[in-house]
Amino acid sequence: MTDETPHTMVDSRGSACPGPITDLALAYRRAKVGDVIELWATDPGVEPDVHAWAAKTGNEIVSIENEGDKIVVVLNIVRR
Amino acid sequence: MTMVEAATVAEATGIPTTNMISIVMFSGTADKFIPLGVLAQAGAAMGMDVEVFVTGFALMAFTKQPKEPQFPAEFAAMAPALMQGMQANNVASWDTMLRQAKELGAKVHVCSMMSGVMGLKLEDYNDLVDDVVGAATFLETARGGETFFI
Repeated sequence: MTDETPHTMVDSRGSACPGPITDLALAYRRAKVGDVIELWATDPGVEPDVHAWAAKTGNEIVSIENEGDKIVVVLNIVRR
Repeated sequence: MTMVEAATVAEATGIPTTNMISIVMFSGTADKFIPLGVLAQAGAAMGMDVEVFVTGFALMAFTKQPKEPQFPAEFAAMAPALMQGMQANNVASWDTMLRQAKELGAKVHVCSMMSGVMGLKLEDYNDLVDDVVGAATFLETARGGETFFI
């Protein structure tokens, strides 16, 4: 990841399941290989759902951090 | 997984490896419409092909003058609390979820036999509906995938 890496922010805070994973899918549609997507969510299902989504689509989870007021997920888009 | 590997896994395990879920929406009650919306939207978000087949009393929620689905009598007392909780948690309505699923490629088919029984034609249905098909068409479409009966 460099400073020039396209970094897409997706704010799904307050959105219930399956909202966050849908917002991620919509961002993924517009993404290219090499992009980074950062997803913010408050729905507790987002952590297992992102694992399932990444396994299904073949993309990489960089990190999942629970920051208390939000869960921050960072993904590397390695497959389209 | 390659096609050959997928076929081998399918043969060895009996587990379908197609990238498709099919949902038979039979019940017309409000509680059942929630999982329809959730599963259709989640499946589409996972990049799966989503095929919905609407039949039974569920048809009435897909017409141009849709009948608002009602909760079944045994859950009627709990319905207001449920609706309040859904609102507080920003849960989208079932048709908003289904519309989102359709934007991601989901398809909605209605049953030709029940349409005939209820005197409904394709032009009587709203924009959620893609086409009117027979059961054989749906079964052929759904073959090899996983099917949910709601």
